[in-house]
Amino acid sequence: MTYVRERGRRVRPVVGLSILAAAAAIVAVLASAALGGARATPIKIAILSDCKGPFGNQYNADIGGAEAAFAQFAGSKLVDPSNPTKGFTGGSVGGHPLQLVGLGCSDSTPDAAIKEVKRLMEQLHADILIGPLSGDEGVATANYAKSHPNQIFINGTSGAQDTTLKVRAPNFFRYNGDGAMWNAGIGDLAYHKLGWRKAAIIMDDYSFAWTSGAGMITDFCAVGGQIVKRVFPPLGTTDYSSFVRQLPPPSKVDGYFWVVGGTGTIASLKAFEQAYGPLKAKQFIGNLFFGVAGNYQSIAPRINGAYTGGFGTPGLDYQTPATKAYVAAVSKYVKAVPPLGAMNVSNAYNGFFFNYYKDGQALVQALKADGGDPSAAKLGPALSKVVLNTPFGTVKLDKNRQAVEAEWSYQLVANSKGTTVNTVQFIPGVDQTFSGTYSPSTPPPGRNFPKCVKKNLSWIGKEKPVVNGVIK
Amino acid sequence: MRRYITLDRGIGIAALVLVVLGPLVFSGYWVSFILTQTFWLGIAATSMIFLSAYGGMVSLGQVGIYGVAGIVLGNVVTTGQVKGLHLGWSPWLGVVLGIGIATALGLLLGALASRSTGIYFLMLTLTFGVLIYYFFSSVTSFSGFSGISGIQGHTPHIVGDPTTHPNRLYYIALVTAFLVYLGVRYLVRTPFGLTLQGVRDDPVRMSSLGYNVTLHRTLAFTLAAFIASLAGVLFVWWNDHVDPTSFGLGPIIDLLIVCVIGSLYRLEGAWVGAFAFVLINNYTQSVNVPVVGGSFNTVIGLIFLVIVLLSPGGLLGIWGWVNRHGRALLAGAGATMLTKARPVKP
Repeated sequence: MTYVRERGRRVRPVVGLSILAAAAAIVAVLASAALGGARATPIKIAILSDCKGPFGNQYNADIGGAEAAFAQFAGSKLVDPSNPTKGFTGGSVGGHPLQLVGLGCSDSTPDAAIKEVKRLMEQLHADILIGPLSGDEGVATANYAKSHPNQIFINGTSGAQDTTLKVRAPNFFRYNGDGAMWNAGIGDLAYHKLGWRKAAIIMDDYSFAWTSGAGMITDFCAVGGQIVKRVFPPLGTTDYSSFVRQLPPPSKVDGYFWVVGGTGTIASLKAFEQAYGPLKAKQFIGNLFFGVAGNYQSIAPRINGAYTGGFGTPGLDYQTPATKAYVAAVSKYVKAVPPLGAMNVSNAYNGFFFNYYKDGQALVQALKADGGDPSAAKLGPALSKVVLNTPFGTVKLDKNRQAVEAEWSYQLVANSKGTTVNTVQFIPGVDQTFSGTYSPSTPPPGRNFPKCVKKNLSWIGKEKPVVNGVIK
Repeated sequence: MRRYITLDRGIGIAALVLVVLGPLVFSGYWVSFILTQTFWLGIAATSMIFLSAYGGMVSLGQVGIYGVAGIVLGNVVTTGQVKGLHLGWSPWLGVVLGIGIATALGLLLGALASRSTGIYFLMLTLTFGVLIYYFFSSVTSFSGFSGISGIQGHTPHIVGDPTTHPNRLYYIALVTAFLVYLGVRYLVRTPFGLTLQGVRDDPVRMSSLGYNVTLHRTLAFTLAAFIASLAGVLFVWWNDHVDPTSFGLGPIIDLLIVCVIGSLYRLEGAWVGAFAFVLINNYTQSVNVPVVGGSFNTVIGLIFLVIVLLSPGGLLGIWGWVNRHGRALLAGAGATMLTKARPVKP
């Protein structure tokens, strides 16, 4: 039974005073919680990633990557090396202590990301944000950055092209490639190595997948390939059968570019199997969703031998003294990244971990250059000038503060020893514009853009094969 | 001199005074984030509570309707952003079109839903909400999943840029919330409002008396859509961004939780629930609930369960109980009889 309030009841003075006093106390507590404190001298850092949604399993990898860099380059220490979300303590640059003011938890949606960004930057007063993880979150965060010029935003792993090519917030820096860049070279590989001439593409209907697919389309068409069909299942689709049926059957095309992420990757491949029979590895090329840690272990047995676009890191077979030193260093500071397991080569090479690691490294490097000053006026120019020497290649920023970096292509392998990701080619010096294909004035990648056009890309023909983990 | 002000009203007036003085009392974050969000979220909740408390209709379509207002406004006013129609029209025209189109949609959806009741009405309105979500997700020229950003750069002069002038939006949201509250309170006392409550209590009898039940429900739904659209406009001014996930299934459930926590049967519950929801959302992110794990979702879920099991009237129901029994305890034996409440059919 429900009750409505009564009206006109008189209140006894003693009772009323008591309740009002209690209410005043509550208000005082709330007000004291609400009143902001004075800004402290430490360098206040916040890290934003996805603890929910399709990429929620990468939360510890992201946080752990950034924290590993702070530990390695600024002397901080993880509170619990087996659980990066517990945060870190200590560490300083130029005499200024690092302070982790908060971790943001988004769910891959821009709406959730913006609310978390506001909480971290306005409630917890972070000077610097590292994040977010996914494409549309990045676009929204860059827009937020534009209206908050006194704070610094370093992209996590989000890879929508618009974030840096269109929004171009002066205080937003991205040290990772975008989704298109990560797929540089994969179209050339499809054309020349697999002999594809006609292909279809299926991609999630949102900005990261559009960007990722744009890289495949541009690269494949540049060397003469044709995209005969584009299919766009909405994010969150659980039954892909109707979308798979829109694809031409395997007898009508040479292959498929597959850009379906999250829980949809396996579901969409299963739907294809049900529609057209067993998967033939040579007819499928995926993007990073095929090869990322946590995914390839289940996808490789299903589609053993398929090629995939990269994520800014090489496959697990590429090991040099520099990469071994990197793995040893991060393993010293981060013992595990749940639920992906103990720190090992696979987790250290995971693009989520490594891209956040690069962000932390770039931040420390810039802070060292400006004497530990976190103000946007000083730190911004310092970040623009950062050149990162990573175990996987050199990273520098273009005029839009977007990384120019080397990319890698993979091959999924499943054998008696288990599953792994091997490197098949190395593509140096990939930039966001794809040799002028994309610019601030071109339409953003979408359902109808880019067109399939033959053209010259700067890296075509210059990709270096990687055999048994060695660049040839 | 005897005092005739009730305790409820006293607290309400104190709260009003406090929020009017908000920028002087609270930190910038509380003004621009916690309280402004509470105001517009409370307005959205009011549209649901109005239908529930006075029309007997629990609608899950209100979030979709405020989303339409927000998306329309974003498309109309922005230009040079990544997504949207880039119309770049007057901010006031954006407000009028946003509210107008959302309200017209409410009229259409209300006409469709008004013949159903109970669980069927709930499901139908949930379908409306999901339909709106997928429409804007799929029609990428309007939004797509990326949504529209940069709306704060295209607000009317009186609003300004909420980032640099948060107090303006704060007071606009506060005044709007207050006017919505007064307006609904007034409306439910008019012949239309009384008829609507009659329809809520016994539609068959009202129909036999000659009242057009369907029309009254449709109009109530339309009015609720108008209220929701006000929340939508304030939301996009506040958030600077709108995309389909701003009004997807998550926010639909969130609004239901706000109403249940506050009270599905009292207008004040809209803002009480919104305030509690926003506070919990903000201050439990780093909490790790023992044994079961999780943070905000676990906390809000547990509170929701407790409210549903122990106090269907929400926090205001708990407050009423505490008020009655507290005074009875303090006043001595038998005082509870003085506070016997009047039950109503929800």
